[in-house]
Amino acid sequence: MFLHISNLKKSFGTGDNCTEVLKGIHFEAERGEICVLLGPSGSGKSTLLNIIGGIDHADSGNISINGEKMEEMNEKNLTIYRRKHLGYIFQMYNLIPNLTVKENIEVGAYLSKKPLEIAPLLKTLGLYEHKDKFPSQLSGGQQQRTAIGRAIVKNPDILLCDEPTGALDYQTSKEILTLIEDINLKFHNTVLMVTHNDALKAMADRVIRLRDGSILEDYKNEKRIRAMELEW
Amino acid sequence: MKNPLYKRLFRELKSDFGKYIAIFLFLMLTIGFVSGALVAGSSMITTYNETFHKYQIEDGNFELSQKVDQKLINRLEKEKLTIYNNFYKEKSSINNSTIRIFENREKINKVCLMDGKMPKKVNEIGIDRMYAQNNKISIRDNIKVGGKTLKVTGLIALPDYSALFSNNNDSMFDAVKFGTAIMTKEGFCQWSGKTHYSYSWIYDKTPSSETGKKKRSDKFLKVLVQHAVVENYIPEYANQAIHFTGDDLGGDRSMYIVLLYILIVIIAFMFAVTTNNTISKESGVIGTLRASGYTKGEIIRHYMLLPTMLTVFAGILGNITGYTFFKNFIANLYYSSYSLTTYHTRWNGNAFILTTVIPFFIVLAINYLTIRRKMSLSPIRFLRHDLSNHRKQKAVPLPRFKFFTRFRIRIMLQNLPGYLTLLIGVCFANVLLLFGMMMTPLLNHYKEEILKNQMAAYQYILKAPIKTNNKKAEKYAVTSLQTTFQQYDSEEISIYGITSKSRYVKNSPKKNEVEISDGFADKYNIKKGDIITLKEKYKNKEYHLKVTKIRNYPASLCVFMNLKKFNQTFDQKKGYYNGWFSNKKIKDIDEQWIQTTITKSTLTKTTRQLEHSMGSVFYLFHVVSAALYMILFFVLAKVVLEKNILSISMVKILGYENKEIRRLYLRATAIAVAISMIVTIPTSYVIMKAIYIPMMRNAFAGWLTFYVKPSIYPQMFLLGMICYFVIEFVLYHKMKKIPMTDALKNVE
Repeated sequence: MFLHISNLKKSFGTGDNCTEVLKGIHFEAERGEICVLLGPSGSGKSTLLNIIGGIDHADSGNISINGEKMEEMNEKNLTIYRRKHLGYIFQMYNLIPNLTVKENIEVGAYLSKKPLEIAPLLKTLGLYEHKDKFPSQLSGGQQQRTAIGRAIVKNPDILLCDEPTGALDYQTSKEILTLIEDINLKFHNTVLMVTHNDALKAMADRVIRLRDGSILEDYKNEKRIRAMELEW
Repeated sequence: MKNPLYKRLFRELKSDFGKYIAIFLFLMLTIGFVSGALVAGSSMITTYNETFHKYQIEDGNFELSQKVDQKLINRLEKEKLTIYNNFYKEKSSINNSTIRIFENREKINKVCLMDGKMPKKVNEIGIDRMYAQNNKISIRDNIKVGGKTLKVTGLIALPDYSALFSNNNDSMFDAVKFGTAIMTKEGFCQWSGKTHYSYSWIYDKTPSSETGKKKRSDKFLKVLVQHAVVENYIPEYANQAIHFTGDDLGGDRSMYIVLLYILIVIIAFMFAVTTNNTISKESGVIGTLRASGYTKGEIIRHYMLLPTMLTVFAGILGNITGYTFFKNFIANLYYSSYSLTTYHTRWNGNAFILTTVIPFFIVLAINYLTIRRKMSLSPIRFLRHDLSNHRKQKAVPLPRFKFFTRFRIRIMLQNLPGYLTLLIGVCFANVLLLFGMMMTPLLNHYKEEILKNQMAAYQYILKAPIKTNNKKAEKYAVTSLQTTFQQYDSEEISIYGITSKSRYVKNSPKKNEVEISDGFADKYNIKKGDIITLKEKYKNKEYHLKVTKIRNYPASLCVFMNLKKFNQTFDQKKGYYNGWFSNKKIKDIDEQWIQTTITKSTLTKTTRQLEHSMGSVFYLFHVVSAALYMILFFVLAKVVLEKNILSISMVKILGYENKEIRRLYLRATAIAVAISMIVTIPTSYVIMKAIYIPMMRNAFAGWLTFYVKPSIYPQMFLLGMICYFVIEFVLYHKMKKIPMTDALKNVE
């Protein structure tokens, strides 16, 4: 198994104010799978994604990626782990406002010893004509494409997407999901996508539904459909 | 691959050009000024030190009552030294000034010709450059000297008169009313009137230490007094005309360096405050970068790059301006104070380290520590824009003030670290401003006090008790002793013997009373009842005097006693005196018997010279302080504005007018500025007093009473507030341009 998570627990606060947000999560994902984490607000899906991404810590439990155990990593090693293996996409694009589209993608490329070629990637992202524009000159969809470009240019093993279409309209959301899907097919990276949009489960290889910090369902899609065909 | 984040630095600079250029220029000019001061100062010191050898400066001089024969010279030269004639005459010249004329010197104290030619004819004269400058005399001018018209052929500097002290006992020289000059042998001999038989000596082997020099000169004095009537005896190490300049040239250095570093620390904190603000603004980006694998170090380096690069460039350009413009500016300041010989600029690696390398490390350290603290937060905290160090900070409960007041207090609480930097910065700017503003009134006040307490319009000090027919004149006696306070250098104190029921000295001292001037009491912290020990200058005899009263007499450091007690104390005959007080000029005493005449002009010499040489520096302090105010206010008020862009945008949507928004956001900073000014003006007074008094005790002969004209405080406050409102005007226009759409677009 490429990604293995077992008995992951996490709580916030202390004493009477203690809230258990993850109550012993266990799941696995294969390399190249699209794995959708579903659930309502407060179900713990973003916390789970952040712990897998090494930017938050679990109270207990184990995570191993390609045999590397995260709980054994100190902060420095976690940074190296993120640098080597992960690409992050957020609902808010968090682009650097005074760097152009191309330069924002170069910010990601800098982290990899063997980054993808930027020009073809810009074409894949549909941003080639906009490569010299600043983020403020782009639409929301174009900004998110740039953020995706920045995440995937280093060709990460895992692409972590936290509500990547949360700030986008229907059509743009479908385009972005299609892009993520295309990238997954092209580069075979594992995609972990957090969303509260139930319709997205149809494009996933694996669906994990969370509620109140526990896994409500975890199943494999026998036949996933293309993102462009999704309806909600 | 080069870190692509570096590409944004230039754009960052461009987007906030106003702020960065203001800081950069301030840094560059400060570094330039200090670098120029250090380079000019060290070049001057080197040149000054070289003058001792290059111009063969004497090891001392003495003045005798009459010309001595060669036999005596031969006897004295057995003391392993060589004696040279250095006779001079003093003649009155333009602007009631006095010129001390020497015959051209060729063996010792050689003349440095600064401009023009040396005099070759009887009616030609070369005059001191600074005296000429102060009295607006140029080469080829004809000037009246002692009733004769002489042509100025050149401007000179005499190495034994780099500070134009006419009398070694004066607390300050006066380069306006006193100058030196040289003439040809024939020109010198044409003068009638008193000749000062001054002789200079040079040891066969000059002792290297001051103690050694003192031993030698004490020994020589003992021999000298056995053979001649000595009127004046000044060993080189005690000659203010030679050493005052050297002491002052070195004395400025530490002041400039401290000034620079305090300013650099303030600038470094301003950088830290603005960088913190940028980090807060870019919190999401930083979180994403950290989540993507950027290390803390990479992010810290990125945010430190701009302030440190600016400091380095400011240092380099500052040094260039220091070596070109400021060096000349400072050199001119020295040249307007001292009669220095020509100097050459010397490369000063130490100045580069002090003005560029150390400021770089100060900015680096302060910014590193501040940014590192921020960067210790986890990436997720950045992603959540949760950068507060105190988690779940509770709102400070506020009393039931009006809404606007409470709002402004909240803004002030939100920006406490910035306002603390403001307070410290304003405090320092106030110390600079106070110094710049207080000195001229202090000198004027001192001058007024001196004149108010002047004993007589004419105060004659005689070489022997000579009578006058002036019925209103009153006799007195005066001598001088040296202080013996261990922690301070020895200083000359005048001892007056005043007649009982004096018409010139109110409440003159009674039989056994010993009064000291208030300046003397203040400088050495002497109180009524204390016993002071004074000693004779060239002897070891000590006098122990019990102070019975402190007298208001600011003109000099002196002791007053009854004339009878004076004569008893100093073993003089009954009825001895050596001076006259008179409100009218005494005309029936031959000039040759008069050692000194103290008039209004003599008493105000110190203030005149200080005002003349330092006046422009005082104004420079006004400019530096105002610039520092402006930069502080601009940077910190801008940070407050930037932190609240979304809120400002939102209150615009709610319907607040620009003027109301200004009252909410910019007036909060105005209040902080006003509070900072009110708090730090008294603080700056305390700091200034703490700096001034030790400085006067250690580095100044005499005493200038610490005085701050009360009207200076409101002026300082007003200047600070005017500077702020200029900045507020600029920022108000920026604030008006904040679009309402910002609130709608960027709320997450």
